[in-house]
Amino acid sequence: MSDTNMQATVYDDTVVRQFSIMAVVWGVVGMLVGVIIASQLIWPELNLGLPWTSYGRLRPLHTNAVIFAFGGCTLFATSYYVVQRTCQVRLFCSKLASFTFWGWQLVIVAAAISLPLGYTTAKEYAELEWPIDILIAIVWISYAIVFFGTIAKRKVKHIYVANWFFAAFIIAVAILHIVNSAEVPAGWMKSYSAYAGVQDAMVEWWYGHNAVGFFLTAGFLGIMYYFVPKQAERPVYSYRLSIVHFWALIFTYMWAGPHHLHYTALPDWTQTLGMVFSLILLAPSWGGMINGMMTMSGAWHKLRDDPILRFMIVSLSFYGMSTFEGPMMAIKTVNALSHYTDWTIAHVHSGALGWVGLVSMGSLYYMIPRLFGQKQMYSIKAIELHFWMATIGIVLYIASMWIAGVMEGLMWRAINPDGTLTYTFVEAVKATHPFYIVRLLGGVLYLGGMTVMLWNVLKTASCGKSTNAVIPPIAAHA
Amino acid sequence: MQAALLTPHEMIAPIAEISRWDALDDPEEWAVFGQPITGTQAELWESNLAIEGMHCAACSLHVEQALMSVNGVVSAEVNATSARARVIWSAATTKPSDWMRAISQAGYNALPATDSPSFELRRKQQRLALWRWLVAGFCMLQVMMYTMPAYVSGFGDMTPDIRQLLQWAAWVLTLPVIIFSCGPFFSNAWRDIKQRQISMDFPVSLGIIITFSVSTAATFQPTGWWGNQVYFDSLTMFVFFLLTGRWLELRMRSRTAGALEDLMRRLPDSVDRKNADGSFSRVAVRRLMLGDVVRVLPGESFPADGTIVLGETQVDEALLTGESRPVVRGLGSAVIAGSHNLNAAVLQKVEQLGKSTRYAQIVALMERASIDKPRLALLADRMSRPFILLVLLAATGAAAFWWHTDPGRALMAAVAVLVVTCPCALSLATPAAMLASAGSLARRGVLVRRLQALEALAEIDTVIFDKTGTLTSDSMHVVLTTARKGVSSEDAFQTARAIAQHSKHPVSRALVAAGNAQPADSVSDVIEISGQGLTANSGFGQVRLGSAKFCGIDITPTDSVQVHLTDKLGWLASFVIDEDIRPDARIAVQALQDAGIQVQVLSGDRLQAVQRIATQIGISIVAGDCSPQDKLTHLQFLQKHGKSVAMIGDGLNDGPVLASAHVSVAMGDAVPVAQAQSDFVVLSGQLILIPQLLMQARRTMHIVRQNLLWAAAYNAVCVPLAVMGWLSAWVAGLGMALSSLIVIMNAARLARMDKAA
Amino acid sequence: MDILFLLIPLSVVLVIAILGGLWWAVYQGQFEDIEKEGSRILEDD
Repeated sequence: MSDTNMQATVYDDTVVRQFSIMAVVWGVVGMLVGVIIASQLIWPELNLGLPWTSYGRLRPLHTNAVIFAFGGCTLFATSYYVVQRTCQVRLFCSKLASFTFWGWQLVIVAAAISLPLGYTTAKEYAELEWPIDILIAIVWISYAIVFFGTIAKRKVKHIYVANWFFAAFIIAVAILHIVNSAEVPAGWMKSYSAYAGVQDAMVEWWYGHNAVGFFLTAGFLGIMYYFVPKQAERPVYSYRLSIVHFWALIFTYMWAGPHHLHYTALPDWTQTLGMVFSLILLAPSWGGMINGMMTMSGAWHKLRDDPILRFMIVSLSFYGMSTFEGPMMAIKTVNALSHYTDWTIAHVHSGALGWVGLVSMGSLYYMIPRLFGQKQMYSIKAIELHFWMATIGIVLYIASMWIAGVMEGLMWRAINPDGTLTYTFVEAVKATHPFYIVRLLGGVLYLGGMTVMLWNVLKTASCGKSTNAVIPPIAAHA
Repeated sequence: MQAALLTPHEMIAPIAEISRWDALDDPEEWAVFGQPITGTQAELWESNLAIEGMHCAACSLHVEQALMSVNGVVSAEVNATSARARVIWSAATTKPSDWMRAISQAGYNALPATDSPSFELRRKQQRLALWRWLVAGFCMLQVMMYTMPAYVSGFGDMTPDIRQLLQWAAWVLTLPVIIFSCGPFFSNAWRDIKQRQISMDFPVSLGIIITFSVSTAATFQPTGWWGNQVYFDSLTMFVFFLLTGRWLELRMRSRTAGALEDLMRRLPDSVDRKNADGSFSRVAVRRLMLGDVVRVLPGESFPADGTIVLGETQVDEALLTGESRPVVRGLGSAVIAGSHNLNAAVLQKVEQLGKSTRYAQIVALMERASIDKPRLALLADRMSRPFILLVLLAATGAAAFWWHTDPGRALMAAVAVLVVTCPCALSLATPAAMLASAGSLARRGVLVRRLQALEALAEIDTVIFDKTGTLTSDSMHVVLTTARKGVSSEDAFQTARAIAQHSKHPVSRALVAAGNAQPADSVSDVIEISGQGLTANSGFGQVRLGSAKFCGIDITPTDSVQVHLTDKLGWLASFVIDEDIRPDARIAVQALQDAGIQVQVLSGDRLQAVQRIATQIGISIVAGDCSPQDKLTHLQFLQKHGKSVAMIGDGLNDGPVLASAHVSVAMGDAVPVAQAQSDFVVLSGQLILIPQLLMQARRTMHIVRQNLLWAAAYNAVCVPLAVMGWLSAWVAGLGMALSSLIVIMNAARLARMDKAA
Repeated sequence: MDILFLLIPLSVVLVIAILGGLWWAVYQGQFEDIEKEGSRILEDD
């Protein structure tokens, strides 16, 4: 490794290894916080009466931990892994790559400390205060430099489609983060948004929706387009479609944001616009899903004995489901029922646990043995166990939340003949109680699966030793 | 014997000694399939290759890897779709034979691509067309997003400043569409104006310019007389749809030409030529001379038409004849340039070269047919000019009519008229269908010489086979052997075969082929009296083999062909030879009759023989002993009675008959394509293709009629609507694009030719 | 809705940037012969 000669011939996998391990660790932490706040919704006394452990402070900790710590580390790890292998070169500037790792861990730790302490900008998915925002911006720009630098010095002329998705994800997140986090500091851990009132809401949901679109969709599609073909050992069903998918997605995503603000102070026409483009979005989303699924055509039998592949394919079916559900919920009449209910929670988690979670786990299971010089994970049985725990967990979670959500929506809007509300709010809360218990059960299963994964990963890592893969000698293009 | 040309030892001369690729190491050859890269320090060359044997995407990667593994190859790119490779290599460290061998060792076959400049040019044009289309498409989507709020917002919902902002945004993104994507419309229209012509690009350009001007004015000066309506969405949509139509048209054209392209690349570039001293050297194909003997290795293509003088192999002629199975070609068989040698090295004597090869003729024919304009298309083209003038008039009229009430609306009504009318649907209707048909026919080995003939063929009610030869195969077989008492018929038969092997006459060939083993060389002093028979010395003494007249015996003639063997004592034996009816003849005739076609045979052969064959096949109307004049009279008689007649023959003889038939079809692989006077050439000679051809022609005309009807109805309905101002510009644009797309897609259905005739 | 005066020009700029990226890709020949690129990743290790 210290040998410069060596460096030219092996991939820079150290940073990939670090991010991979931390992805699993933060996955366990973030899901644990999720389980805690799910319990708090059933037994409010679990707030412990302390401000630091109250639901309002732990909920952003949960979302930040799973999205940016677990999801973020996975994206860093996979994108670094994929870009090196598809370009057949080492990462551009290993030191900067290493900085992105430590910088990103610092961001996560800072979030884990500041959020329970109550420091928040009160913008959903962008709660972190301005000093952390600046750190995020610096890390992210370094990430962009490493990634695009690697692309620039590639040995393969064609840029594989996964890299296009990663590139779009990196650029879009940078723009979204910088525009949305424009704020006026008022002390070290306090700031005011640069935008006011409904303007702020508009920017926030332009950010929020595109964060879903580019962070949780484009980035993970990049993962899907590399690791599904790799694990299935066959090329993606239609490479042409994957490219069309990419351009169609990035051209249409930007406009769907206002659907998060149906029936608010936002002008009616922007809401309608958001609805229409959310519906249009269905086409590219399903194009991608079908492409991923059909990669298996002719090799469906592999699903029977390969749990890793099963993670990926089930993940794609959740992607298909939630990208169908999303546009449906963006229709204003449907939204009138679903908005503010647990239906939204069900939708988000079918995307997050089903799509993002499972595809991340699948790709981590693919990478980790290779990063530690092993042929496969320490225990295949444990992967199998993880798969079933996760799948059953998701099903329990989203089914209970769907029922709870629709029930809430119906109860809230039920009106007596004399025009008064049929139910008080608290009656609706009481009615959801049993479903919250089922949801907790689902969450515990999902967390349990993740813990099994952590054990499996640590075993694999301790049995093997860190190895950096060799760059194949014959580059296809000079 | 001809086999003395080469000893077996020479046949297996080690390949390494005289490499297949050595001819390419001559620097003079390099420029033929590539060019030097200037401005580099090392002497770098770029070479273009056509790669054969690639079946999948991964194959191209293997070829790339094989090339890159050669020291001195700087870069290699292999395109799987076009089967092309671009190699950049250093002349100082390597030479073409090195990397050609690397490809060959990887299991693929590479040919230098000499047509790369035109190929590159086409690729550039395609890229540009694709890019224009993409720009229009993406800008259209974005412009729609900016314009949609205006449609969805309720009254007073959107403030004027926001409306203005959105219009500006739409304007900015319309610019690339106007400046870049619309380029071809403007330049075509301008070219036509300069040549004092008018084409459909003119009204289109006019429509684009007016729409853009009105919308731009409305964006920046909403209070002007032109109104405050912007039509950027309609405009971009219209351009996008139009470009989509053109793009699809282009793709369909190139798919039709695809079969042609495959043909073009069939010839090898270099070949092993036999030198005077019996050794071989590699020479470029264009340096071959008539009479040269060349060695063609398995995996190579034959460079010229000629005869095999040593060896036997299987040959793939699929692209040239439509015959999908490999055919055996042995000593003395003719092989055609461009066919593929499959399994053994053979020596070939060059008899036809370059332009005079059958291969070159087929290529030339297909090229000519693809630019042929059918009568209906010519008519549509002639009509389109006054049609466009009429459209312009109507547009002006519409504008004038609305001008007093609302100038803004007047302009847009004019635009709607300009945009909605679709002369292109009208002029595309016929050629699109016929080209699609010709393409699919070509893939099955039927060449269309005149597109026009498809129209006539669809109307045919009578099919006349003007030769029995087209109904029977070349081969004959011996059905009966009778011999003089006391003579073993087997002995007589073997003697006849031994004599017959010295003759190429079909009957002799039938005799030779009738036995199991190679006939013994037991006869001497064989003399052939052309067209009559042979004399020879045999175990029976001096014998004659031939017709009854030649043998001087008196035997009652029968329906079938007979040959006789006589010695000094007179009659020795007789052999009854039967012609093989083509296996598909019955089915083909049946299919024709089922389709309501009257089938006749009109032959110069003897009536009984013709009748016997015709009965077996199921044809009842038969005439034998016809002179060419008889045939012509019969044809004219039929035509006078309102029959529409297709003549099917070898396409060579009976020129006047073929010319006066409504449609003529030449059968068989022996036809020199260029001389064939027919409208269609069925390369493989398979009879079953005749009913299929007929059905395809009928389907083609059916679709042409549908297309014409649709285009006419569309224009008849939409133009008045647009004049009345009832069509908005985007609906008009959509209508126009859809109308031509429908025409093209309808035509594309013909590309899938129905196998079950 | 002053914010639209930021978001809409930003979107125009982004669209032009994306078009630029697409242009670069088309003219780089990134989409010349794409089906084989799907298989390439399976070859590297």
